Amino acid sequence: MLLWQILIDGFAISSLYALGATGFTLIFGVTGVLNLSHGAIMVAAAVAAWAASGNMGAGAYPAAAFGVAVALLLALATYYLIVRRLQLSRAVREEEKEIFILTATLLWGIMIQEAIAWLFTNNAKTVLPIVDGVVTILGVRTPANEIFTALVCWATIGALWLFVNRTLAGKAVLAASMNPRGVTLLGIELSTVYVGVWAIYGALAGVAGVLLGMFLGVSSYSAGPLTASAFSIVVLGGLGSVSGSLIAAYVVGYLETLTAYLVSPAYRAIPALLLLVAVMYVRPRGLMGRR
Amino acid sequence: MAAPKLEVEGLQKRFGGLPAVKNVSFSIRAGEILGLIGPNGSGKSTVMKSILGVERPDAGSVRVDSREVAGLPPHRIARLGVGMVFQHSRPLYRQTVLENILLGLLPDRLMDVLPTAATDARARAIAERVGLTGVLSRRPATLPFADLRRIEIAKAIARDPQVVLIDEPFAGLTARETASFARLIAEMRADGRAVLIVDHNVKSISALVDRIYAMHVGEKIAEGTVDEVMANPTVRKVYLGGALETAARPEASFGDVQTPFLEIENLNVVYGKAQALENVSLHVHQGEFVAVVGLNGAGKTTLFNAVSGLVPYTGDVRRQGRTLSGRTAATIAREGIVQSPEGRELFGAMTVSENLDMGGHRLTDDARAERREWLFDLFPVLKERQSQTAATLSGGEQQMLTIARALMMKPDLLILDEPTLGLAPVIMEQISKALARLRQKTEMTVLLGEQNVTFALPHADRVYVLEHGRIAWEGDPSRFATEAGARYL
Amino acid sequence: MVRRALLSPPVLISLVVLLVASVLPLYVSGYVLGLLTIAYYFGVFSMAWDLLFGFANEVNFGPSFLIGLGAYTAGILDNLYQPPIALSVAAGVAASMIGGLVLGLPALRVRGPYFGLTTLVAVLMLQNFVVVAAGLTGGEIGLTIPDVISINDKVNYWIALGFMGLSGAILYGLSRSPVGLILEASGQDPVQAGALGFNVTKHKLAAFLVSAFFSGLAGALMAFYLGAASVGTFIDVTVGVQVIIGAVIGGRRTILGAVLGAVFLVALGESLRPLGDLATFIVSAVALLVVLFFPAGLLGMVKGVREAT
Repeated sequence: MLLWQILIDGFAISSLYALGATGFTLIFGVTGVLNLSHGAIMVAAAVAAWAASGNMGAGAYPAAAFGVAVALLLALATYYLIVRRLQLSRAVREEEKEIFILTATLLWGIMIQEAIAWLFTNNAKTVLPIVDGVVTILGVRTPANEIFTALVCWATIGALWLFVNRTLAGKAVLAASMNPRGVTLLGIELSTVYVGVWAIYGALAGVAGVLLGMFLGVSSYSAGPLTASAFSIVVLGGLGSVSGSLIAAYVVGYLETLTAYLVSPAYRAIPALLLLVAVMYVRPRGLMGRR
Repeated sequence: MAAPKLEVEGLQKRFGGLPAVKNVSFSIRAGEILGLIGPNGSGKSTVMKSILGVERPDAGSVRVDSREVAGLPPHRIARLGVGMVFQHSRPLYRQTVLENILLGLLPDRLMDVLPTAATDARARAIAERVGLTGVLSRRPATLPFADLRRIEIAKAIARDPQVVLIDEPFAGLTARETASFARLIAEMRADGRAVLIVDHNVKSISALVDRIYAMHVGEKIAEGTVDEVMANPTVRKVYLGGALETAARPEASFGDVQTPFLEIENLNVVYGKAQALENVSLHVHQGEFVAVVGLNGAGKTTLFNAVSGLVPYTGDVRRQGRTLSGRTAATIAREGIVQSPEGRELFGAMTVSENLDMGGHRLTDDARAERREWLFDLFPVLKERQSQTAATLSGGEQQMLTIARALMMKPDLLILDEPTLGLAPVIMEQISKALARLRQKTEMTVLLGEQNVTFALPHADRVYVLEHGRIAWEGDPSRFATEAGARYL
Repeated sequence: MVRRALLSPPVLISLVVLLVASVLPLYVSGYVLGLLTIAYYFGVFSMAWDLLFGFANEVNFGPSFLIGLGAYTAGILDNLYQPPIALSVAAGVAASMIGGLVLGLPALRVRGPYFGLTTLVAVLMLQNFVVVAAGLTGGEIGLTIPDVISINDKVNYWIALGFMGLSGAILYGLSRSPVGLILEASGQDPVQAGALGFNVTKHKLAAFLVSAFFSGLAGALMAFYLGAASVGTFIDVTVGVQVIIGAVIGGRRTILGAVLGAVFLVALGESLRPLGDLATFIVSAVALLVVLFFPAGLLGMVKGVREAT
């Protein structure tokens, strides 16, 4: 009984982690940016959806869509206002651009987080779930919401896979992650590719954020830990490898669930962290890292 | 007789599965200058790094003054008497010239590192030797390129090394500066040091060196005096190719005599402080096949990158009378000026077919399939390997894929940058045949950059010779052998 | 070289500023003195960080790892055994330096973003450890430290000021000394530095230890000033962010600028306090603007003008 519960709960949480990590790794793989405002964008999406259904009385679906739209806008803002500016800047040496972009996205994330806290207080909020009720699987009573979460996550990841492997635009994105110069030589504007990738990232983070809001609820304090966990998963799986992130997400998700159930919820983050430390020492490029 | 100051024996180094250096051996005595020459990819940089300790050789020995140093960390080797003048100057910008030179004199300690009056005097003496006395208190940002190179030389000889390695000593220097640097290097020989100069081309160092060791694809192809090596048939084949054939169409036969398809006027490109291209002017007519020949480092890639909009430049580049400056690189490529770059820039994890499809991304599905079939006909080996990922192809296959991918874009002007670099003669044959077909069967305009004159000349209608960033000769291929060929090497 | 540095404008100006700062207690309220005391300790944190980043070219994303080690070790020791304060502080410094060694050794082997990641992970680990070992560390509530160095806010202020002045003198002197020259060369071009005969790893590791020394010392002293230690004040990632931003705003690679940045951040945060939650937002926004539009930082801009002429 407990085993099935762990399996199902772990699956749902891991799927959510997987979606968030996929977006994070996509941005890194194609543009080389580690976006430290990731968690804040997810929280913003969730809070926007909550505000839409609460304050503005929108239905569950429109509210969710609104949340995703907010994340999309924030992601594009991150690209245009911060990343692009620094990448084109001549005041910063090439070697230093990485840390400047990291610091800037970190600050931007804090700004978003604090704005949310100021506008909506830092209390935890739950987004109106699209799916209600309880379902019984393998003798375990599970909120239908949880199943919905896992399904939507995988549908989104599947859509991304189709996009990258079956459409020309998606292949351009893949090509840009392999060789940006090659893409330019073929007459494709890199800047267009980048805008597209950030938009896709925004949508991914938005969906993940809204789902998280429905499943577990968020508060402005969640932003930091969300970024940290996406970050750890991506490092474990290998920076830049989407398949690596997916596998690592499940490893981390199940480690956390197991710890929460078998030891104590307070310690849930520890095993994953220990694993991360071990990986950093033994194989810094992660499970399937390229760079 | 005393033992040689530097002895390299049986040096081997592999990167991944690919051998970069296969069994290299040479020695340099005190007061002798050896020139290590070879094109890109010949392994000469790896040899240099192995001597310095930056790379650890897989096999073989490196002895400095009879002491084995292979495998030691670089700072130990440096302290044993090896100095290096790097190709790219990296001074500390916030310190003065004097302080930069002092850096070469400091001991490798964490404490008690204060420079004494003696080290200060020595730094000044070295500065005087290399000609930097006037600028000792200035900062590098305010100095011309040649002085930055002088700082590098000063740092390298600061501790009186027995062995000095110099990487491309004259790159970016004017003729007068080259002469003065050559004198400095000759002085090193007079001081009794063993000097190893690494360079692409023989001409620039031929007056200076005592002996030459020529490398190609990781191994020695010739060793001896300058004259001996230059007369060596293998060397001539690698650099010049072989007998020269020509088949040029006269310039007047091309329609756009008044406004050539591509016009380049007074092009200047500067990298940092080094002048990469100086007042280059050339033109290409529609349907014409123009070759730009020059050795590595002459500036061909820079020239092509300027045309493609990938590097900033001053001067003008015009296509059919309208200037290209201000247009993005992707726009220029979309509008029909397509490069097959020296670095290939393939999408390694994608298959041959996928790479080609990326090239034809703006065509309809039918047009793309048709074009792909045409290219498979031009390069049959690509058809065989169409489902293989690009990274697993051989060098020659990758080169053919690069050209094919560029052709998928239906270019008006195809720029080919060093298509035969590092390839076996059999592959060169295939590419040559493909080029001949392009020339005969299509109206395509081609700009070909090559080091290998024998490969380039039979396809060219006109030839430009690029040397140290300047056009040194222009004219008919048939006149090349008599007028320019002799000085080429 | 060193002699010239001693009489240079930055040093003279710093001396003047220090002089002015030392008479402030006669004119200013205890509350402001308290703020400045904290700011001075943060100044030392930022200076130590700048040594590592600006010179050795190593980005430490978790300066709060070293700071936290120093503060908590000193605090825990004091709680358990109440030894003389100097001993606890020394233990804190030792812990921080060992931490610096443990962090530095593997970190120097990896390249690119992995080093930064390692430092970040170290902070997360310490944070989790403190929370989990609550019996020893006071967990999320925090640790109370029974001893304090002084209860007089003027005395505490002067201690902090003196400590900052001394640390600044040592760190700045180090950066301008031949050792600093070697460190800068090692950071900028390790291959060339090796070819000139310098053991790059040795020098960078030494820089780590120096950075750890000052971080740990300042952390321990600040813990005794506050009389308390908690995750939020010493270990949290936001603490590290404040340290880094202070150095970047002040002007990286200047050492002295770090103090400027730290004080600026504290002053800004304080002046915005009436706005409540919005304060953090505005401080972050200002910091972001500086990073985007004035990446050379306050002092960096001044230096840039000087060096161009």
